[in-house]
Amino acid sequence: MKPAPSSSLRLWQLISPALPVGAFAYSQGLEYAVEHGWVNNEETTAQWITGLMNHSLSALDVPILARLYKAWQARDMERVIYWNHTLQASRESNELLTEDRQIGCALKKLLIDLKIRLASQWPETEQPSFATMFALAASHWMITVNETCQGFLWAWSENQVAAAIKLVPLGQTAGQRILSRIIDEIPDAVARGLQLTDDAIGATVQGLGIASALHETQYTRLFRS
Amino acid sequence: MQPAPHHSCWKAQLSLEFGAKADRTVVLNRNHSGPLVIQKPFYPEGAPCHIYLLHPPGGLVGGDQLILDTRLRDHSHVLMTTPGAAKFYRSAGAIAQQLQTFHLAKESLLEWLPQETIAFNNTNAATHTKVHLDNGAKFIGWEIICLGRRASGELFNSGRFVQKLELHRETKPVLIERALFEGDSKCLSSPWGLANYPTAGTMIVMPANQHLVTRIKEHVEAEPHELFSVTLMDNVLICRYLGHQAQAAKRLFIKAWNIARPQVQNIAACMPRIWNT
Repeated sequence: MKPAPSSSLRLWQLISPALPVGAFAYSQGLEYAVEHGWVNNEETTAQWITGLMNHSLSALDVPILARLYKAWQARDMERVIYWNHTLQASRESNELLTEDRQIGCALKKLLIDLKIRLASQWPETEQPSFATMFALAASHWMITVNETCQGFLWAWSENQVAAAIKLVPLGQTAGQRILSRIIDEIPDAVARGLQLTDDAIGATVQGLGIASALHETQYTRLFRS
Repeated sequence: MQPAPHHSCWKAQLSLEFGAKADRTVVLNRNHSGPLVIQKPFYPEGAPCHIYLLHPPGGLVGGDQLILDTRLRDHSHVLMTTPGAAKFYRSAGAIAQQLQTFHLAKESLLEWLPQETIAFNNTNAATHTKVHLDNGAKFIGWEIICLGRRASGELFNSGRFVQKLELHRETKPVLIERALFEGDSKCLSSPWGLANYPTAGTMIVMPANQHLVTRIKEHVEAEPHELFSVTLMDNVLICRYLGHQAQAAKRLFIKAWNIARPQVQNIAACMPRIWNT
């Protein structure tokens, strides 16, 4: 498929921190990791974020995002719902699942406002993941699968770095150095994820699961649970 | 010509079917080939059927395959455990696999409470536990994995172990865990992964609610040098353990089981006798 002339611009719209879905309110275990000293400087922040991206998102979110994209493109709602369920069943904690559904639902509402017809036909009984709606927008705007996945990882990374700048705390320049490291690793993380067969999808990360579950009852919090 | 292998591969298969009679759950059918069997059922607490799953060779090498297929009919109640740790030895290349599938008909309860699995260094192995629940069926289960044998100084720094655990309600996946442990992976040493702990455990209770989560949080506490968490995804409760010892994981999970079982089935926990030996 040839990308539409505006598809790059549409991708920038979709991954902008100004996208009103509320992702900025979540830290995904990072707040607990900082509280407990697992993450305490620029280096450990970069390792936390790139580690999760390379091990977890690359093996779970990326291949499922690509399958959702193709299912939307084929108008195969049964497959869309199947992968939506599979992704949510693979989350490690209530907090991670709730975030995914809340920002997914917010993106669905936005796509309805932007006149994407399929978003308004989403079944009432199902809660969409963020990746599910992200894939719908990307296929609608004819962004390529590869760029869709790269953009998805970029948006996630930028949000994590923004949270780390507040939590660790780090300077803005340190944040940009970390993002530069991440940019170097995104193409490979996407390529590896796109190669996975269905039975090789998924990489549970126990430490993140524990950190985000314990964050649900952490005493003082900047970020939502 | 290839040299003769030191060990011809074991392929063992066991199918079981349980049903609820007037006073207790009984084994309706059993078929097996190869070294995977059950002992005569025990009834230490009346109706529930306690089953000890035995694998006499004691461990698996590359190429071995253990396949367990278990069906629980309506209203049956089975507690299944193992007398000792499952071991996956080092492999020259071929994969060793343990596949277990449970079909739980409506209002049945399966308690899948095996001893730990030990992955030796240089192993190549996969375990896959698949639970299908009909409406009203219930499941309590745990799986504990130890990487390497720290007590005898063996680290897990080479090899591959994949542990998959999935629950499906009717046709919908409600929990999928796929842990990938590779000897040289950052997952083993990073805080978002195993944080250098050799032992990881997952315990599942379904159905559960926030009340049960709160009670387990109040009563089950890890030692300062280990990690333990409880969370609820829809009506699936998940406890996670990261630490040094399978014994410690079991101690915490048994405490959680003592709290969960009365809520799930309205009967007190009854320790299988074999755990005391």
